[in-house]
Amino acid sequence: MRAGALVLLAVCLLGSRATLAGEEATVLPEWLQLSGWLETIQSVRANHWDEAVTSRARLRLELTARYQWLDGFVSMDAEKNWQIEDETGVEPHEAWLAHVGDGWDLRVGRQIIIWGKADGVQITDIISPPDYTESVSRDLDEIRMPVEAARFRLLGSSIDTELILIPTFKAAVLPTGDNPWAVSSVASSDGYRFSSMAATEPATSLANTEVAVKMSAYLSGLDVAASVFHTWDDYAALHRQVREANGITEMTFAPRHHRLTVFGIEFSRPWSDFVFRGETAYYKGRYRELSDGERDPLPKDSVKWLGGVDWTPGNDWSVITQLTGECILEHEDILADRANTLMATFNVSKKLLRQTLTLSNMVYLGLDDREIFNRFKVDYEARDGLHLLAGFDVFGGDDGQFGIYKDNSQLWVKVKYSF
Amino acid sequence: MQRNSLHIAVLAALVSLPCSVSPSQAGPTGREIMQLEDNRPDGEDRKSVMTMTLINKRGGERVRTVKIFSRDFGKDKKSTMVFQKPADVRGTVFLNWEYDQPDHEDDKWLYMPALKKERRISGASKNEYFMGTDFTYDDMGDRNVDEDTHTLMGEERLRDRDCWKIEAIPVDPEDMYTRRILWVDKEAHLLLQGEYYDKDGLVKVYRALDVRRENGIWTIFRSEMDNISREHKTLMEISEIHYDTGLGEELFRVSALQRGHF
Repeated sequence: MRAGALVLLAVCLLGSRATLAGEEATVLPEWLQLSGWLETIQSVRANHWDEAVTSRARLRLELTARYQWLDGFVSMDAEKNWQIEDETGVEPHEAWLAHVGDGWDLRVGRQIIIWGKADGVQITDIISPPDYTESVSRDLDEIRMPVEAARFRLLGSSIDTELILIPTFKAAVLPTGDNPWAVSSVASSDGYRFSSMAATEPATSLANTEVAVKMSAYLSGLDVAASVFHTWDDYAALHRQVREANGITEMTFAPRHHRLTVFGIEFSRPWSDFVFRGETAYYKGRYRELSDGERDPLPKDSVKWLGGVDWTPGNDWSVITQLTGECILEHEDILADRANTLMATFNVSKKLLRQTLTLSNMVYLGLDDREIFNRFKVDYEARDGLHLLAGFDVFGGDDGQFGIYKDNSQLWVKVKYSF
Repeated sequence: MQRNSLHIAVLAALVSLPCSVSPSQAGPTGREIMQLEDNRPDGEDRKSVMTMTLINKRGGERVRTVKIFSRDFGKDKKSTMVFQKPADVRGTVFLNWEYDQPDHEDDKWLYMPALKKERRISGASKNEYFMGTDFTYDDMGDRNVDEDTHTLMGEERLRDRDCWKIEAIPVDPEDMYTRRILWVDKEAHLLLQGEYYDKDGLVKVYRALDVRRENGIWTIFRSEMDNISREHKTLMEISEIHYDTGLGEELFRVSALQRGHF
């Protein structure tokens, strides 16, 4: 796979050399377009300025083709990561072919599919699994992994019907090893010995194919959609094999992915300078950890929900606020998770200097664990396509999904050039 | 980006304005002339490529290019705008359903390729600048005639063309400008020049630099907005425009935004 990506990269670089020299001088035919970006980000730990948290350079190349009745798209990444060596290399990203018919379209291949009305929060948006390797320091689009899928859409004047088939399972990627974003899920303890088996993933077969159906209506003043996604949980449940020997409890984890069915509803409604958004999903069949840590996880259905308001008052201000939560149905005290969880997000931005300078502050507030993730960002467009960015990421709290990273608060600078 | 896109819709107004009305026998009033300007014929549909060059006081330039499609649906209008330059916004698509009824809010969606999904956006603030240019939402032509009181000041010849000279005073005292002086071409019914004043005096000057007929329809191919107070200028050029090509309805659906090509 990497060899193929290298060949594509060479073809793209050949094309881009002339393109970058002058747009009229491209060696690519008219039906083929090359684009992409090059970026580098460096950061230092806020409480240890001599330590880096993030340090990498990345090149994204995209080839778009439109030849008669067929469209095609290929993208790939080349990365050098000084902090997480495993990330260094060349990887294919998306690669798909598409055809647009009269009232329908079809796209087949590796593709990213994004659903939902939420910003930075996944409610129904679980088609493309996330890659959390460096999730905090990457843009939202970069943490979504493509799936090998066929997507068919029946397109009406105001109602679209979408059918997605995903024959090959892909799990979410979590940070491990020396990655500064890795979280140890297994704590050592006296009298216990822990080990873990490789995750059991569903084989590629017709019976294991993931199926999604969605109907979307785009009406005057209202967007609504309903969806069903019969999938496999992107996150493995940690089943246990426990054995007592010589006074020591040996616990072997056997991660296994389970079937999950998600029923979703979403809407979006503008009013004056506001847009109101809502999204909810019923998760049927997700396994939950138990608080004692010794028994197998239990399947428990849950409801995730989100309400949001976007406000654009003018003068290049933008305010986006969301409240989201999850409710575990038929909750029992033996579960490690709470019955109800709440999180709020707040994002405010202002453009200055003819919209070349953007100041923004985005905050995630975990209301149960009193934890926080706050990102202040300055983005200056030095010239067309060239952005100079700097920011300060602050993690606070003792627990939860953000509090655990409190030692990873970082100051960072980034340069991004799009072509 | 979101705010920018809110303004893109009004760009279409430059190349898409409906049918005309007749001035009264005693000579047109200021309001009647502005209705002529607002309602000049421009075909049932149109597609164009527009380039805006932003020039600062040191001569530095930034370029924004937008491909625009629009079509009339009765008295309503739908438009799709595809960003081509700069590279960091390439592939961004803005869809606007603009309704004739003043109390019917427009429907707007924005598709950003990085996020790979379309989203609803709200109505625009009229005093924001479009993509960092010197054109505001109002300047782009989406201003209702009745938002100003128009007075015919006389007739003048401007760049070899006969014009009506009109003073426009906003009805809303909170408006961004306190006064505008407008030169409307008597033959083409196009705005040939405009001076924009606020309480401190002249702010900026609009000039139509290249006005020609395309397929029998008067079209502004090149214009500029000279922002005197900010020492900045925006040159707006239409590199190609086609009227009545039979654009399909599917081009103006939300489902078209994700495809990435037009």
